[in-house]
Amino acid sequence: MSLSNPVAELRHDLRTPVNHIVGYAEMLLEDLELPTHASEKAALEQTVTAARQALEVISLVLAPTRNSVTVTELTELYAKLAEPQRRIIEMVEGLLGATGEEPTPTFAEDLRRILAAAGRLVPREEPAKPVGAAEPISTEDAGKGRLLVVDDEPGNRDLLRRRLEREGYTVLTAAGGREALDVVGRESVDIVLLDVLMPEMDGLAVLDHLKSAAATRDLPVIMISALDDLAAIARCIEQGAEDYLPKPFEPAILRARIAATMQKKRWRDQEREQLRALGYVTAAASAVEAGAYKPGLLADVARRTDAIGRLARVMDRMAAHVHQRESRLQERLGRLRDEVGVARASIETSEVAEGPNLRSGERFAGRYEVVSVLGRGGMGTVYRARDLELDDDVAIKTLRPELLSDELSRERFKDEIRLARRISHRNVVRTHDFGESGGVWYLTMEYVEGITVRDLLDSRGRLEVAAALALGMQLAESLAVAHEVGVIHRDIKPQNLLLDPDGVLKVMDFGIARLSERSTGLTEAGLIIGTPAYMSPEQITGEPVDQRSDLYAAGAVLYECLTGRAPVDAPNMVSLFARVLSEEPVAPSTLVPDVPPAVDDLVLQLLAKHPDDRVQYAVVLLERLQAVG
Amino acid sequence: MPKILLVEDNEMNRDMLSRRLMRRGYEVEMATDGLEGVTMAVAGTYDLVLMDMSLPGIDGWEATRRLRQAPETTTLPIIALTAHAMAGDRERALEAGCSDYDTKPVEFDRLLGKITALLSGGA
Repeated sequence: MSLSNPVAELRHDLRTPVNHIVGYAEMLLEDLELPTHASEKAALEQTVTAARQALEVISLVLAPTRNSVTVTELTELYAKLAEPQRRIIEMVEGLLGATGEEPTPTFAEDLRRILAAAGRLVPREEPAKPVGAAEPISTEDAGKGRLLVVDDEPGNRDLLRRRLEREGYTVLTAAGGREALDVVGRESVDIVLLDVLMPEMDGLAVLDHLKSAAATRDLPVIMISALDDLAAIARCIEQGAEDYLPKPFEPAILRARIAATMQKKRWRDQEREQLRALGYVTAAASAVEAGAYKPGLLADVARRTDAIGRLARVMDRMAAHVHQRESRLQERLGRLRDEVGVARASIETSEVAEGPNLRSGERFAGRYEVVSVLGRGGMGTVYRARDLELDDDVAIKTLRPELLSDELSRERFKDEIRLARRISHRNVVRTHDFGESGGVWYLTMEYVEGITVRDLLDSRGRLEVAAALALGMQLAESLAVAHEVGVIHRDIKPQNLLLDPDGVLKVMDFGIARLSERSTGLTEAGLIIGTPAYMSPEQITGEPVDQRSDLYAAGAVLYECLTGRAPVDAPNMVSLFARVLSEEPVAPSTLVPDVPPAVDDLVLQLLAKHPDDRVQYAVVLLERLQAVG
Repeated sequence: MPKILLVEDNEMNRDMLSRRLMRRGYEVEMATDGLEGVTMAVAGTYDLVLMDMSLPGIDGWEATRRLRQAPETTTLPIIALTAHAMAGDRERALEAGCSDYDTKPVEFDRLLGKITALLSGGA
């Protein structure tokens, strides 16, 4: 239909059923035989007369020259049509109820068509329906939206219903405020068209109810009001009404306002739905962080076809990946813990009470009570002590005095310690303080009850691949956090790697190797730190080192863990240096067939002679170790 | 007997008009929308078309224009049926190419008169 004049539309709507009544009645009249069917003829003639009266009324009120009609006129029109309608129905029902032979084969059928047409003419006096019997009048094209028209005036209600149905909406109606609230509570409604002036419960009260309940707060309400009642309209908009429609209705405005309100509601619904989905994704992110995410948790959101759906799918995949890696790590850690356990049982713990500077039971630096010697290294001796101030175990490392003989080297060392103290990670032994007492320079550190990887390898020979990977991953993690704050270890070797009874790796001496930097190299043999087997070629030749030097050392440690042998070995220092610079180590798998190819490749790459050929960053090493299946 | 094509989307109108025409001896075929009406009119052999102007899809006005453009139906008599009863509708209908015009509800005898006139007078 492309009718644009609302009066013409209504005229068409009303005339069509009358047209049917006249048409069928006349047709039946043609078939009747007189005098046999005199009574039928009379009834049908009265039907036609009544229908023609109805047509006259329609033509009078809805004249072709008119473009609009007031509610009052409409109400009067319906009232005038009710009478001919009643007469038609009475006649036809009488004919249908009559017994005897039918004048024509389709007589009853045609009468019922007339009856149906008469029923459509005017909304008939609605018998008292149970509250909320406002059934959906049309379910066609429910996709366009469901509107609830609330008006106590039957004519007005009907006019709006017809027009909105014509626009493709599904229209529910309610004759009063209470009924409207009931419908809203029971049915799905997109927009409420609410008359302001109604007996008992007026539009403002209904609006108040709707806007104060959480479930209906966001339901758009368009107020219907006479244009001159601006104060009421203003009050409604203040109370949260979306819009208003002035009476009499201007069809273009009606269409535009409802369409706009519907569009806004759709957007809001969509937005809310997106927020809800996004809420799930962020909740899932927290669950991932807390380690509580279970793959598939986002399945509902992941089915969405929009960006949030994609986000959920990516999240889910990543979380599943993390989950898988985590369980793999746990499994590997378990193996490492077992190895540590076995090693600890076999290592004889011989407590040495006296070191070069301190002895057991001695009070040091005012607050530490020395317990025992833990180890000796190139830089000094490590003691276990009790911090009496904090009542906690600590490790004290006394430094060889020649390393800190001048102010410059002390300052540089302090800088390095300051940096190292910034590393806070479970795989790094925490550095507490640096100081001097009685001419002895010392560092205090976190005390770790455990064994070194050196002890472990001496005891076990080599480690299972899974245990070696667990160690390598923890080492990579510690290097990653240190490199991130700009600290390079420079002396990664099995002696500096502690393992606690749970298999947790703790890297010692971050920053300390810096002390020896000036004297690193071959010239001052007494100051060579650590074992050249773990030193990168560039470190041996005294070139500048960066994080890739630590990665070389990590490769050497991993190599030894996997095979039980250092990657390069020689009977003496000089030939060892030469070999580190020139000799390619054999692939770990040639020594231990269990080593998977991916691990082979990774370790050999870490041990590349030139830094550019190595894995460049500790985080990449960690990634690659995690990825080993 | 003359053959009439009734183009009308309303089922009751179709039923009623066709039956009343048939009992007057006309052969009636029916289309329910504009496009179907044009297709049938062009392809068939009708003596007259009764065209409702308010049709879904292409309406009666457009259907009439198309029929006038098709060589097969350039002179086929078409009676427009409108529910508008607007001043100027008659002129509009004739302008669109209709041979005559009537309003709904149909005064059957009046319509019959127009049909008879068009069919006997020749187009």
